[in-house]
Amino acid sequence: MIELLTLPFLACLVLTLMHVHLGLHVLARGVIFVDLALAQVAALGLTVALLAGHSLQGEGAYGYALAFAVGGAVLFALTRTRGGAVPQEAVIGIVYAVSAALAVIVLDRAPQGGEHIKQLLVGSILTVSARDVAALAVLYAAIGVAHWALRRPLLEVSLDPEGAARAGRVLVFWDIFFYASFALVVTSSVRVAGVLLVFAYLVVPAAIASLFVRSVRARLALGWALGAAVSAAGLWASWAWDFPTGATLVSAFGAAIALAAAGIGAMRAANAIRAGGLAALRPAAAALGGLLALAGALLLALPGMDHPWLDAVESAAPQVRQAFLDDDEIETLRDTEDSLARGQTDLDRLRRMEQDVRWGTLAMDAEREERLRQFIAGRAELVAGDQLVLRTLRDTARGRQRFPLGLLLAIGGGALAFFFGRRVPDRTLPKRNV
Amino acid sequence: MRRFLAPLALSAALAGPLWGAPERPAVLQVAATTTDLKALVEEVGGDRVKVESLAGATHDPHAIEIKPSQIARLKRSALLVRIGLDHEPWLARAVATAGEARLAPGGAGDLDASKTIALLQSETPRLRTDRRAHVHAFGNPHYWLDPENARAITAAILDRLARLRPEERTVFAANRDRFLARLDAGLARWKRALAPYRGERAVVVHESWPYFAERFGLSIVAAIEPTPGVPPTPATLAGLAQRMKASGVRLIIAEPYSDASLVRQVAGRTGARVAVLVPSVGADPAAGDYLALFDLNVKRLAAALAPQ
Repeated sequence: MIELLTLPFLACLVLTLMHVHLGLHVLARGVIFVDLALAQVAALGLTVALLAGHSLQGEGAYGYALAFAVGGAVLFALTRTRGGAVPQEAVIGIVYAVSAALAVIVLDRAPQGGEHIKQLLVGSILTVSARDVAALAVLYAAIGVAHWALRRPLLEVSLDPEGAARAGRVLVFWDIFFYASFALVVTSSVRVAGVLLVFAYLVVPAAIASLFVRSVRARLALGWALGAAVSAAGLWASWAWDFPTGATLVSAFGAAIALAAAGIGAMRAANAIRAGGLAALRPAAAALGGLLALAGALLLALPGMDHPWLDAVESAAPQVRQAFLDDDEIETLRDTEDSLARGQTDLDRLRRMEQDVRWGTLAMDAEREERLRQFIAGRAELVAGDQLVLRTLRDTARGRQRFPLGLLLAIGGGALAFFFGRRVPDRTLPKRNV
Repeated sequence: MRRFLAPLALSAALAGPLWGAPERPAVLQVAATTTDLKALVEEVGGDRVKVESLAGATHDPHAIEIKPSQIARLKRSALLVRIGLDHEPWLARAVATAGEARLAPGGAGDLDASKTIALLQSETPRLRTDRRAHVHAFGNPHYWLDPENARAITAAILDRLARLRPEERTVFAANRDRFLARLDAGLARWKRALAPYRGERAVVVHESWPYFAERFGLSIVAAIEPTPGVPPTPATLAGLAQRMKASGVRLIIAEPYSDASLVRQVAGRTGARVAVLVPSVGADPAAGDYLALFDLNVKRLAAALAPQ
């Protein structure tokens, strides 16, 4: 595991160091989607390179991508207007959509298909090579040093453009510098990590850090720490739960910001309870009641549809289902569950055996091999049959749960929602000064 | 069809002297969904047909965005030859838009080449109770990659062309015989070249090669990327590399558009050689027609397997 994930983790660290810094600027400027737009423009450059006869892995293609991305960056720098009729977000969106469409048109005529481009957008952080990581580290170190040396004007232009202009800064020059180095970073990162992951590194750590601390320095430090921690957690999850690595990392960033938001929500709720007593929870209780009533109404109206919440309840407490089945049915249920577990174990064992035969680690003559294959097919059919029985029993139980359970939830939830949702007379709450 | 054409031909013959129009178009317009089927129709039809492929050689056949020119192509085609199964999910809408009843499934101008083939990997999805990718729920559609299957496919093409142009049946049949003679010579040549490597185990990137492997005695043990477009998980990759080393698999079959860094990494971890095989006519300049496709693939495979 360590051996396979070392290089990806190093790549993640390099990405974290560069992107959290740029992400703070991007958040301050409010141009969140500039990253996706520039990545798409770079992809358009790659398709044009294909059309011109370059191979995608070559330096020529990288040059095209970079030239296109820098062109897009200059466009963004020139369209940064304040108070104009067209906000910059519109320009970014237009550039994104049009360059994606142009890429489709160019690909239609390119001698190679779009597979490579698709792979580039998805990225392959898992199979990154030592050379990729080293090249990225050297490039980002150079950009980092330049940005550090010029941090004062860059921050002024991002955080307080009016003040910077009054102080005599030429905004267009600094914007071009910022967006051009941004384009260079995005073009290089996307080659290694793919569009989605690059976007996550750019926005999520910086956003979480902005929720908790104020100063640029503190945000940068917290963002770096978060980026490194989430990278490690995502890589671990990808290994332990057997998920594709890039997508798992992006989801880990999503989980991180959801956790941060939940933490802040819990803190606020605790504060509200401290200030106003348990009455502060009334809206939450009303919402819960509403959800229960909705679940009950759906069970009443459409007992045949999927009710994942009921499945979850039943798997935690089988009595909820068994209470609605007669003794015969419960016996069938138990038998089927046993047989299913046995069948699944058998099937796993046989599949492993088939794999061993296939790989040549287990010798077997052709006839026995064919018999094994038939046997597996038969077993799989039995397992599928057992699953069908379980589903039928579930549907039977659902039909009987429909009215008692559905009515109970609908009425109880509705009452809960009504009781906690109604307007409370002012005297029960401390006076608020709005 | 003939009854329908007869008055047309008559009126054209009458009108002919007026503005010199020919009685009927000299060549039969045919649309094929892939370049491989196009190549096979051309072998049978010769200069009596004009075939165009709806998808390019390097386009992902699952994800074609229909263009107006393709609708126009369908409209003027007397015959549509397709791979069938679930290989062309976009085709039904294109045919419906073209609005030609003869090209609709089961119509006189619709030829589903898969109907003639004994398919591999055609277990019904119901049987696959555990989580496993089955992109091809109706059987693996890459059947044109077994050259023996070209016999059945060209037979079906001959049958259909001859029904559309009864008076040219002998021409078509002679074309097909000539093609089959070259195919037989090719098969002998390819089998000879690959004979030393019979039973060789290989790992593929995508499940595109079961027919090819079956014909030439290769045994495909695993796919690196079973679901196209979904990169393998770290555990899958580590397990795969370990099994490859343990059981001495020394060949990876990749396609020209396979993820290069993925293939490089598996090859680097296992010491296996990579053969980049071309799945379609025209996807490589050297694979200009159906026989050249196999000449190229057999050459690359033999080069990858040859002792160094």
